[in-house]
Amino acid sequence: MPTGLKRRASLWLLLLPMLMWIGFLFVLPHIKLFLLSFQDRYTGAFTLKNYATFFTNPLYRGVFTHTVVYSVLATLITLAIAFPAAFVVTKVLDERAKALVVIAIILPYWVSELIQAFTWMVIFRETGILSYLLRTLGITSHNIEFLYHNWTVIVGLVYTSLLFMVIPIINSLETLDDSLIEASYDLGGNFWSTMREIVIPHSAPGIMVGSIMVFMLVLGNYVTVTLLGGKNSFWFTENIYDQFIVRFNQHQGAAFSVILLTFSVLFVWTVLKITKQDITEAM
Amino acid sequence: MAQEIDVSLVNVTKKFGDLIAVDNVSFDVPKGSFFSILGPSGSGKTTILRMIAGFEVPTSGDIYIGGERMNDVPPNKRPCNMVFQRLALFPMMNVLDNVMYGLRRRGGMSKEEMVRRAEEALERVGLAGLGKRRIHQLSGGQQQRVALARSLVLEPTVLLLDEPLASLDLKLRQAMRLELKHLQERLGTTFVYITHDQTVAIAMSDTIAVINKGHIEQIAPPEELYRRPATHFVASFVGENNILAEGTLVRLVDDQVGEVDVGGVLMVGRLGEPLSPGEKVDLFVRPEMILLQLGKHTPGILGKVAEIDFDGSHSLVVVQLLESKRPLSINVKVQHTEQAPDVHVGNVVTLSWNWVAANVFRHQPLQGI
Repeated sequence: MPTGLKRRASLWLLLLPMLMWIGFLFVLPHIKLFLLSFQDRYTGAFTLKNYATFFTNPLYRGVFTHTVVYSVLATLITLAIAFPAAFVVTKVLDERAKALVVIAIILPYWVSELIQAFTWMVIFRETGILSYLLRTLGITSHNIEFLYHNWTVIVGLVYTSLLFMVIPIINSLETLDDSLIEASYDLGGNFWSTMREIVIPHSAPGIMVGSIMVFMLVLGNYVTVTLLGGKNSFWFTENIYDQFIVRFNQHQGAAFSVILLTFSVLFVWTVLKITKQDITEAM
Repeated sequence: MAQEIDVSLVNVTKKFGDLIAVDNVSFDVPKGSFFSILGPSGSGKTTILRMIAGFEVPTSGDIYIGGERMNDVPPNKRPCNMVFQRLALFPMMNVLDNVMYGLRRRGGMSKEEMVRRAEEALERVGLAGLGKRRIHQLSGGQQQRVALARSLVLEPTVLLLDEPLASLDLKLRQAMRLELKHLQERLGTTFVYITHDQTVAIAMSDTIAVINKGHIEQIAPPEELYRRPATHFVASFVGENNILAEGTLVRLVDDQVGEVDVGGVLMVGRLGEPLSPGEKVDLFVRPEMILLQLGKHTPGILGKVAEIDFDGSHSLVVVQLLESKRPLSINVKVQHTEQAPDVHVGNVVTLSWNWVAANVFRHQPLQGI
């Protein structure tokens, strides 16, 4: 075998496990899902009925819109918390303190999302820690149920997403030469103008990657949303779960899945276009 | 009339923990002058510049710019601008926006006026018409000029330069050196330039402050620094020098001149500091200040040519001393003129110099420079 061919063959061999993984566990199921979504539940014949259900039923549309709006909100809040933290970690703290803070940020992710959600439940439930504290401090006279509100869901989602926002932003800020910040001050800039004109434009790729990851994770989240939001969470993934598991309507669930996937891809693509970011550059 | 002073440091000390980076430094920079701070890396010169710019706060002492005390003024409110070592141009902006950045921060000016001034500044540094370029599309020399224009457009009282030429290759560095000097003369802006490169400092400066281990060794015009170094350190750091170490001061010819015995050979030199006979001293003599004659002459130091390095306009002749008790050699720079002696390896030669060409200081172990 010629050496060039041999090398190419060995490269493919290295990629094979990953390709198989993606092929069998991602591509094939999605093809099946896609086909299912166009089939009649009973006859298996081609139909657009499953999609029609989504577009005609205001409940599904409403839940979908709610999911998107709150996902954007959760992403923005995550960004608002993560960016200052990443800035302090990279530009203010010394090496030792920086390592400690990064560990502190990563540490919560050593437990699964499920445990994280349960922890929030312990804090927020009617007989939970927060309620108890407020009562013992005399701020309220009786227990308050903090769970099952939109903002509870947001708190949980932001918490599980922070890491995925902080790390890319830290990476992008680390490549920012400190002397650029000094130069900005030297030329008369203040904190805000330096942020707006130097720091944020420089870390835009990191912000973009973080936001895309967080948005995708939040949009497709199920565990945190269900546990902290309960029946009131109105998250679209619950509709999908409902169709597959509760109503046993795979075809309808498949259509919902395809809608969610298509939308999130289009949404991210549009945001990238609007902000003039290049996906390959951002990644 | 007393000269106007633009920058003044009064007993400035800066400590980082236990480390004293700048030790009780005082100097005045006259208005419109090119002032260099010359020193090896780690000597504290960057810290001094950063204190003038406002990025570091002195532990004690005062800093004045244009007569006003600056200690509590933040960097963005000081009437000085800095050209950074790595230039620190903003890669997210084009050339014009870089130059306009300071004007926009200052405000109170129409957009058209800002553009006009920025373009004028670019023209002044020879970059007219390149405003729309991205930073990475420029060559190293052009980037230097953008950095200069970006600071100069603000018409600062003082321009601080942190070795901006260090990253350039030799040819470009020499060209930019001249350009910088001409620009300074034309604008009349006070320049404070820090560098570890003595050739740059000597070529451009009106005044040089030599700094070592946080304290000032000498403040003088380049020529004086070169001819009459005030300390052992200055003599060894500035310019090429033959160092004839560990001699003994034999006698004082007068209060300025002494005779030194180095390895049994007698040499004369200017006393760089008060010394008394019997002290252990080092004698510094410039290679280009030594007269080299073929054959034996008196008075003079007898030697044999060991090596000749041809360097275009001149040659560096390494002469092994014949009458010394320990192996000693002296480098002589011979200019290639028509009268220059035709020297070959193995020739016996006589070296001599006027006492003003040599400087004598109390012996000190040489620092790694």
